[in-house]
Amino acid sequence: MGINLEGIVIIVGNYGSGKTEVSVNLAAHQKKAGIDVRVADLDLVNSYFRTREARKALESLGIDLVLPPEQYLQADLPILSPRVAGMIMQPSQLTLIDAGGDDVGATVLAALADPLKGKTIRMLQVVNPFRPFTDTVQGCLKIRKAIEAASKIPINGIIGNPNLIDETTVDDIYTGYEFVRGLSEQCDLPLEFTTVPGELISTVDLHRFSCPVLPIQRQLVPPWKEIRQLGTAV
Amino acid sequence: MRKVLMKGNEAIGEAAIRAGCLNYFAYPITPQSEVAEYLSHRMPEVGGVFLQGESEVAVGYMIFGASGCGERVFTTSSSPGISLMSEAISYIASAQCPAVFVNIIRGGPGLGGILPSQGDYFQATKGGGHGDYRLLVMAPASVQEAVEMVMEAFPLAEKYRNPVMILGDGLIGQMMEPVEFPEHLSSKPTNKDDWATTGMDTRKSDKPNVVKTLFLDAKVLNNLNLTLKAKYDRMKKEEVRYEPYNIDSDYKVLIVSYGTMSRVCKTAVDNLKEEGFEVGMIRPQTLFPFPETAINEAAGKKSCKTVVSIEMSMGQMVEDVERSVLGKRPVEWYGKCGGEVPTPEEVMEVLREFGK
Repeated sequence: MGINLEGIVIIVGNYGSGKTEVSVNLAAHQKKAGIDVRVADLDLVNSYFRTREARKALESLGIDLVLPPEQYLQADLPILSPRVAGMIMQPSQLTLIDAGGDDVGATVLAALADPLKGKTIRMLQVVNPFRPFTDTVQGCLKIRKAIEAASKIPINGIIGNPNLIDETTVDDIYTGYEFVRGLSEQCDLPLEFTTVPGELISTVDLHRFSCPVLPIQRQLVPPWKEIRQLGTAV
Repeated sequence: MRKVLMKGNEAIGEAAIRAGCLNYFAYPITPQSEVAEYLSHRMPEVGGVFLQGESEVAVGYMIFGASGCGERVFTTSSSPGISLMSEAISYIASAQCPAVFVNIIRGGPGLGGILPSQGDYFQATKGGGHGDYRLLVMAPASVQEAVEMVMEAFPLAEKYRNPVMILGDGLIGQMMEPVEFPEHLSSKPTNKDDWATTGMDTRKSDKPNVVKTLFLDAKVLNNLNLTLKAKYDRMKKEEVRYEPYNIDSDYKVLIVSYGTMSRVCKTAVDNLKEEGFEVGMIRPQTLFPFPETAINEAAGKKSCKTVVSIEMSMGQMVEDVERSVLGKRPVEWYGKCGGEVPTPEEVMEVLREFGK
């Protein structure tokens, strides 16, 4: 069961839900599947661990990454590159937009209303049930509503990203998957895929998932940890 | 209890609530703003107060006011913000009030940058504000340890009636790690009736408690300073904490490193061990009081040729390391600041050089 995502895909979710790690790995995964991919780092609210940290890994796979100008990469400033509007108007096979966290991070999407007008958009909410505020269905729905209000775009799919980083167990993945599956049923939105840390992929029973699985090779790690090879297949 | 995945800043906020602190005053600054963001959701849920001051100067005195009334109170900021609070910190130490300050350090001096640094070591351990005061300074190396230190900081501040500082760097605030929270602590300071301005009626007392920092009589002021000194001496006896690492080996080089930098050093120590090159490490968990004796003893090991202070600052902690080693071994320094954290490979290269 493959991930069937093309066109303009916007990744949103709670602060710290794993949007960037999901975006980077999704981009690499789709690129390996032969799809032309462009990624825009639209995280204007976070200052550390952004898509731009994975710039080299993405570029080495031939994925175009749209960032603010080089001299502003470490600036604590919300910079929206005009190239983002350009990439929306002339989208590649998969145009992936990694938005910032919460409704605050999604506000910038409203500024892209003109180029997005008339386009078919998939806006997907990343959910990690091991994070504060999204450990209940109610919490997930609350942030969904806030993001939709701020971005003026409806969310139309869910991505499960249950993990405790290095301490994730196979049981956590199953429990987290059951949570996001339940969430998907309750809010009547498709579960596009769920993630499994790359190092655990061989130990999980893939038949337990009724949706596609995206392996995550962590890219945004502190300096004492090794970055895993991006785009490794299941 | 089930673990949750939290960013250091969020975990610090939650830890304060679990420690029974329901008063949080702050002003946003990168890279600690998530504490305020998190507590703006959480404080109302638990009946607590989050008030954003008009500046860090104001916040410092809000802390003083709440503490003087016997309330558990804390704030978080980053380097330039702590500079602005330093006057109030000196006042709070003078008035002998308990309070917790968290500094998630960014690059300096001046406005500097928003990336991690340990450049505020001197500010935290040697003053920052004016006068003869000290802060009890704790330096976490993980999100879990940040939680534990924040929860311990409140009772320690009350034990000594002195401000306690948690000194993290941008990475401690920004990185995500799984954490679990210990049980809630009791919600009220235990000794406040002796000194806090809670009102004579409340205390059923006929003597007012006075919280002040002006002592015009030279003898009285000298006595206050002797009282403070006795407290700091007691901290030196009772509160020193450190973690030894690979210290049973016959190490040629001894590292002293704390916080985020010590995580990088640990990886370097492990990798060098595989090459057959032994390096020991002392990680101070308290920066004041400093683990002088432990470092002195570790430096004295026969196999040890050199001691290196590895820090994300331009040679600050190295002065305390020199003071601890007392000339037993040569003391070297390695560090970087500005935001780039040295990699394990860079540290290994430096250690190989010092080990020659």
